[in-house]
Amino acid sequence: MDSTQLAAVLAAVVVLSSMLSVELGLSVALIELAMGVVAGNLFNLDPNADWLVFIASFASIVLTFLAGAEVDPDDFRERFGASVGIGLVSFVGPFVVAGLVAHGILGWTTKASLIAGTALSTTSLAVVYAVLVETGLNSTRIGKLIMSACFVTDMATAIALSAIFIKPNSWYPLFLVVSVALILALPKVAPWFFGRYGNRVIEPEIKLVFACLFALMVVADAANGHAVLPAFVLGLVMARHYRQHPLEQERLRVVAFAFLTPFFFLRGGLNVSLGAVFANLGILALLFAAKLVPKLGLIMPLARRYVPEHAAFTTLLMSTGLTFGTISSLYGLNAGIIDTTQFSLLITVVVLSAIIPTAIAQHWFSPDVEAEREADSARTPGLRPTPRPIPAGEQA
Amino acid sequence: MTPYRFDNVLVAIDGSEGAQRALDCALSLIERLGGELTTLAVEGKLPAYAATAGEVDEVRREKDRFFDQLLEQAAGQAAERGITLRTDLVPGHAAEVITHYAKAHGHDLIIIGHRGHFLGDYLLGSTADRVAHNAHCPVIVVR
Repeated sequence: MDSTQLAAVLAAVVVLSSMLSVELGLSVALIELAMGVVAGNLFNLDPNADWLVFIASFASIVLTFLAGAEVDPDDFRERFGASVGIGLVSFVGPFVVAGLVAHGILGWTTKASLIAGTALSTTSLAVVYAVLVETGLNSTRIGKLIMSACFVTDMATAIALSAIFIKPNSWYPLFLVVSVALILALPKVAPWFFGRYGNRVIEPEIKLVFACLFALMVVADAANGHAVLPAFVLGLVMARHYRQHPLEQERLRVVAFAFLTPFFFLRGGLNVSLGAVFANLGILALLFAAKLVPKLGLIMPLARRYVPEHAAFTTLLMSTGLTFGTISSLYGLNAGIIDTTQFSLLITVVVLSAIIPTAIAQHWFSPDVEAEREADSARTPGLRPTPRPIPAGEQA
Repeated sequence: MTPYRFDNVLVAIDGSEGAQRALDCALSLIERLGGELTTLAVEGKLPAYAATAGEVDEVRREKDRFFDQLLEQAAGQAAERGITLRTDLVPGHAAEVITHYAKAHGHDLIIIGHRGHFLGDYLLGSTADRVAHNAHCPVIVVR
């Protein structure tokens, strides 16, 4: 199958995934991942076509940038101590346990074990965010705490990917200089640039962001480094700007969701061997436990201290994972650190961890949002509970 | 035997053709019998297991826009016929929300379209079926 034919088949799969996502009410990323698994196991589709690897690699950096840009710095500041405590424990516990299990019990190489530790220590801010928004808890104290803690875990994952697997060479100082320069300059340049050239169908503001991300990728490659950490921080420093200009963020998301991220998740799915997963169900269970047991065991005591009435809910949501787990696993596969079987197992555990803890938290431990709002307003005198927005058109 | 009174009617809408017919039916009924009419739109679930918070935000924004417009149109249609319409938008699972809402707000009749526009209606049985099965009051299913 040549490049054009492969692109046509994958484009059709992307369309089908979007339709299923709308009809089933599931995230399009999860469907794309699943459809990639189906397509890859049924048809002879090459997941390593140059163009596909290139787009997927860029998409992973764009996803990381978007993840940084989605953080609310004010919410994070509000409960800094608790967020950092829970977020760091949420990363370190599974990182150590999953790494030791992979190395000591499964006999994976040191680097493959570190990939396992990184991929399985992640938390999904997006999965958590959907639950919190749907229940209305995102505006409450507990919601903000959980989102901030997720951000800390994401940050730790980005640092781990950027620090553990690099082999710095003489280009590394340049990589650091370019990273710092972009992180300092973009938030300052953006208001002027976006004001002068933005709001046009040719989208100069998106091109500027993409140019910055490509620049990071180029110097990271030359330096044997990884662009994930500077991309995440770049998103973070742009978060406030995007909060003030949501339309710019919406357009960036449109481009990312329409063309880039589908190929990232599809490629992730295409590399999953169902045969390898079913042949290693015991290892799958072990890796799943290596993620969940330390998350549950270590976060619960902290959650009991900071949010005693909703410790189980907080702990379960901190045990989710999806995007950064997929990014870490794909990085390991691309770099030749893990093989297809190891990748298949890690991705399956990542997807299971997105679904199972979330479902349990929603079904059995979801807090009463009205009670939380009342409690928040009692803690902060003068703060009234936020009423549900009244739809336009409502009449007395 | 206690006569049925339809003083406080609830009509569920979701933008589908069936829902539009249900609204037409409800407006005609209120024109003839009088009483109060409430239009309820149920904002379905946000995408579960999203990869980016942006996906959740954008879907929420799209849903808000869609349902705000839908309720505004419904209120406009009612106003043209001289009927004052209450509207409400509630998130959640459609069948559950409609039955709970009707009971909590003391509605004595629910009017609903035969089929909505979600695949679940075709695969799992329609929302109308489940509302008719669980409601505390009479239900008119409009074809």
